[in-house]
Amino acid sequence: MTDRLEKTYLWDPVVRVLHWALVIAFFTAFGLGKFGPDQMTLHFYAGYTVAVIVVLRVLWGFFGFYTARFANFVKGPGKVIAYARTLPSTTPSRSYGHNPVGAIFVVGVLIVLAMQVLTGMLSDPEDYINVGPLAQYVSIETARKALSYHEPLSFLLLIMVIAHIGAIFWYKTRKGENLVTPMITGYAELPPEKIPHRQ
Amino acid sequence: MRKLLISTVIAATAATGAIAQAPSDVAKARRAFYTLVGYEMATLGGMAQGKVDYDAEVASQSAKDLLTLTGYHTADLFVPGTSNEDLPGETRAKADIWSDMEGVQEKGMAFYQAVVELNDVAGNGLDALRPAVGKLGGTCKACHDDYRAADF
Ligand code: HEM
Ligand code: HEM
Repeated sequence: MTDRLEKTYLWDPVVRVLHWALVIAFFTAFGLGKFGPDQMTLHFYAGYTVAVIVVLRVLWGFFGFYTARFANFVKGPGKVIAYARTLPSTTPSRSYGHNPVGAIFVVGVLIVLAMQVLTGMLSDPEDYINVGPLAQYVSIETARKALSYHEPLSFLLLIMVIAHIGAIFWYKTRKGENLVTPMITGYAELPPEKIPHRQ
Repeated sequence: MRKLLISTVIAATAATGAIAQAPSDVAKARRAFYTLVGYEMATLGGMAQGKVDYDAEVASQSAKDLLTLTGYHTADLFVPGTSNEDLPGETRAKADIWSDMEGVQEKGMAFYQAVVELNDVAGNGLDALRPAVGKLGGTCKACHDDYRAADF
């Protein structure tokens, strides 16, 4: 491809900071949940950090910079399928922001993260020390149900994150596109015709 | 007490259908036993987390009751054929208990030790109580992680 590429502002600082904070908070919460001490105070704090990040990102999805807003990157099935067909090709996507398939991950992972936090906060593991702060407002049956979802959901999240990192790797090796650097610096090399407000 | 607990768990492996109780009744009694443990822990946990005011008398009594419960001979509560696979909906005790009695015994000893430590400090003020309750609750979790299902 001989696209004319221009240095383009792609991700605002809020998106970037929240993303890397989420990476740290998620792996901390997961690691402490799975392998951490039996007194789970630190796990709870890591989980609350995830909660704050998810809430801020959702708000930013309505009021933030262009590429952060859900309305600008969530697409219907037609566009998703059309884009999915291009995934195996070696042609770089040069997307301005999230592509239609990536959008499914973004929205999906935010929803599952919210469920993870909510089930944790509702959980009563009946050890009288690691009780979620919302468990006291629901029946013990509900608190047990929440507990029984919390672990499978964490596994689902892990799978989603592995798929996410796998996709980033795919773009790098197959399409020769480095998506990570823009997520750090905010800038990407894109052809001007891909940028909506330059058309 | 320590000897009793160990013999309890070992006897559980040997305990068979020789005890003529319906499996459902065994599960019911087992849950009743752990309900009592939880009942005393709720008092102590409430104090440790500041939901209930600390009271040296009440805390000491709850700690003592837990110690009494560790003296209960639980072998007959762990009759084989009473796991959550055998009795779905009636118990959360995993079959892993019966395939790994040694592990159960180890976790049971940690629980017992924490109860003893708690008894040493329960009457000595909230600051002394809190870490002991935290440690004890941790031994509940350690056993639940491996041997108790999250839900029925
Ligand atoms: C994204 C955020 C979170 C992640 C990734 C996460 C992950 C985990 C994992 C992997 C476990 C261990 C499951 C197992 O192997 O049995 C766990 C357990 C647990 N988590 Fe979370 N968690 C999160 C948030 C929370 C929050 C916010 C709370 C409560 C405020 C919470 C409360 C608990 C409790 C009570 C347990 C289980 C204790 C038990 O079964 O003994 N978690 N979590
Ligand atoms: C080291 C591991 C990770 C790397 C290298 C990485 C990389 C990236 C990159 C490059 C993007 C931008 C994708 C695009 O161009 O459309 C992105 C977006 C995203 N990633 Fe990750 N990621 C990692 C881990 C995670 C984890 C653990 C989570 C969640 C638990 C996560 C959640 C997200 C979300 C929600 C977005 C959308 C960002 C936004 O619009 O705010 N990532 N990631």
